[in-house]
Amino acid sequence: MGLVGWYVKKFFRLIRGEVLVLPSRIIVGLFVVFLLGLPLISQNPYLIRILILTSIFAILAASWDLLSGFTGQMNFGHALFFGVGAYASALLHINVHIPPWGSIPLGGVAAVLAGLIIGIPCLRLKHTYLALTTLAFPIILTGIIFALPDLTGGELGISGLQRLTNSLLGNYYIYIILFLVLSVIMWKITDSHTGIIFHAIREDELAVKAAGINTTRYKLLAFCLSGLFAGISGGLYAHYMRIAGPSTLEVSMSFSVVIWAVFGGMVTIYGPIAAVFILFPLLEFVRFWPEYRTMIFAVVILLILLYMPEGLIHWARDKMEKQCPRCKIRNVATRKNCRVCTAALD
Amino acid sequence: MKKFTFGWNVLFTVGLVLMMCFSAWGAGTIKIGVIGPMNFMQGKGHWNGALMAADEINAKGGVQVGKEKIKIELVKSDSNEFLNVTDATNAMERLMTQDKVDFVVGGFRTEAVLAMQDIAMDYKKLFIGCGAAHPELCLRVAKNYDRYKYFFRGTPFNSGFLVRTCFLQMGYVGELLKNTLKIPKVKVALVAEKAIWVDPMIEAAKGVIPKMGMEVVGVWRPSATATDVTSELSAIQKSGANMIFTVFSASVGITFARQAGELKIPAVQVGINVEGQKDGFWEATKGMGNYILTMDTYVHGVEYNDLTKKFMDTYEKRFKETPTYTADTYAAIVYSLVPSIEAVGSLDANKIIAHMENREYVVPSGKIKYYKDAQGKQTHDLAWGPGYLTSLGVQWQDGKLVGVWPPPKWKMDANSPELNYKGIQPYKIPPWMHK
Repeated sequence: MGLVGWYVKKFFRLIRGEVLVLPSRIIVGLFVVFLLGLPLISQNPYLIRILILTSIFAILAASWDLLSGFTGQMNFGHALFFGVGAYASALLHINVHIPPWGSIPLGGVAAVLAGLIIGIPCLRLKHTYLALTTLAFPIILTGIIFALPDLTGGELGISGLQRLTNSLLGNYYIYIILFLVLSVIMWKITDSHTGIIFHAIREDELAVKAAGINTTRYKLLAFCLSGLFAGISGGLYAHYMRIAGPSTLEVSMSFSVVIWAVFGGMVTIYGPIAAVFILFPLLEFVRFWPEYRTMIFAVVILLILLYMPEGLIHWARDKMEKQCPRCKIRNVATRKNCRVCTAALD
Repeated sequence: MKKFTFGWNVLFTVGLVLMMCFSAWGAGTIKIGVIGPMNFMQGKGHWNGALMAADEINAKGGVQVGKEKIKIELVKSDSNEFLNVTDATNAMERLMTQDKVDFVVGGFRTEAVLAMQDIAMDYKKLFIGCGAAHPELCLRVAKNYDRYKYFFRGTPFNSGFLVRTCFLQMGYVGELLKNTLKIPKVKVALVAEKAIWVDPMIEAAKGVIPKMGMEVVGVWRPSATATDVTSELSAIQKSGANMIFTVFSASVGITFARQAGELKIPAVQVGINVEGQKDGFWEATKGMGNYILTMDTYVHGVEYNDLTKKFMDTYEKRFKETPTYTADTYAAIVYSLVPSIEAVGSLDANKIIAHMENREYVVPSGKIKYYKDAQGKQTHDLAWGPGYLTSLGVQWQDGKLVGVWPPPKWKMDANSPELNYKGIQPYKIPPWMHK
């Protein structure tokens, strides 16, 4: 009992000392509470569906940031990982009868292999060349899918997949908790030693090499890690939609991921996630004006990128908080002195 | 400024919650969801057809359900399915849970319709598909009747029959060429846009054409958006082809017809040319698309039965265009759904399904009957052939699109009934072929 009490106290201390001190962390905390508590307010199936799909795409967008944002390996064909995950899960589920709990992680593993396959030839490429090369891979896979209709279902895709559970709430909590857990894992990766090396590769690869670090290995690792998370999101998508089709590999899917990441703010993990949670429901919200739906969506993105070139979340964070010039700790924008080292804040 | 921004944020959030949490207003009506790609011609057809149906029924006081007359309320839903399958499923979910529709009509892209079908089945709502032609949609009904029985094909007949119809039209034109121009063996060039869906059709054509007493002289696959096909046309001319079997769904249909007309290629065009079905084709080809033949469902002046003219005239008067086959949402509501609702006196989907399955009824494009499979299981797939749905072969003749197939007194085989669609004109062989 004493141990439980100690942990409870520690938890509250953590909340008070680490979360309540910064508005961005309070918002994230409230957001998590909102997601977990939403079914207490409404169990509307449409709302639940939108949030489930949003959480799936948020994992996908964050996985793109993990690769392209952090290492600077500009991947314009991220739909490849998503599609490989979706198709692999579907094939394993339909042909080998592996239940979704097994087929989804295996879909992620298949996407890791895809990451290796495209990572190796792409290692020597940079910038535009890399972007264009990666763009080609989902198109190639689509060709393979259409060439093998008996296995892949051709233009119809593979349908009749089982959901993780048939319960509305069960599905919601599984997807939301998986989203939260996978997002935290991605964020922790970027915050780790590996993440710092990813970051450094983007800033100056030559300097990292000069420091004796095998950048090739780290770039491949980034491809594989990104592929794993994107593949899992593809598997989750296929089992939720009950179909894995060619639309999972479409160019528009790859571009949506880039738009989400740039809109939210790259090199953050949470930026792309926030963007998906804004843009995906927004697209649903503007259904009231169907003729101008896509145009409204495009205008919103354009305005944000025009006035907030670093992304919405970077902008919002800079408005709410400022960084201490001495210890680099973030503080509420209203503070005059740093909460840690008491240095004067600009 | 800050307050203004905050205010807008609050308004936006409240609006978002309202949109998601509350269903559309309106009670005491039969709600029919019309789902389709509304920014495209196909979706516009879906909506126009349904709108015409609802107005016509409501003008008579509504649908007689038991002792009560209930009006129809349409709910328009943009599936955006050409661009985004996820969007299409969200639209269907919204129809089911927010708009709380009683029935759904529409759908076009097969991958999207499969996903939308699952959602409608989850909610046990009757969904009449008016666009996708793939057989799988109805095979699902036979495989798992209890789950998929709520799906019916409304239009068109399935893609297997679509190919057979093309071959029948090709056979008809081939015979004409043989008899009129005294060509002993008609040579056929296969020209199809570079698209995956066309591949099986080309393979089938390669196998069937020789059995029809004609010869395949080559296969050409221009890009679906090609703006120049002169090299293909020169090769076709060199091959000595008398007939070109076309399969075009995209803009290459205009390019090909225009350049073939300019070069006066001595070969008739038969098959599918979706651009050739549109009212603007003549202007788009500057008249060079003269004499091309394409499969189509509706053409001005041709009547399958007594209902066709009334439907066509009303549609053309109201929307200033010829209806496309997706406008058969009209038939799905007026002739399929409403009579069954009135017959059973209820909106109960199970009762309506039982009634719909065993009906045979006339619609503006022919006669509807639902097939059973070899084991006698219901498929809810449409019957094809003389006496049921056949579609038409339409030809551009000097600026006018006219129906030319099936010719008067046409019989598919010795046992089939004779077909006599009113308004069918003789097929015209291009004058430059008479050399």
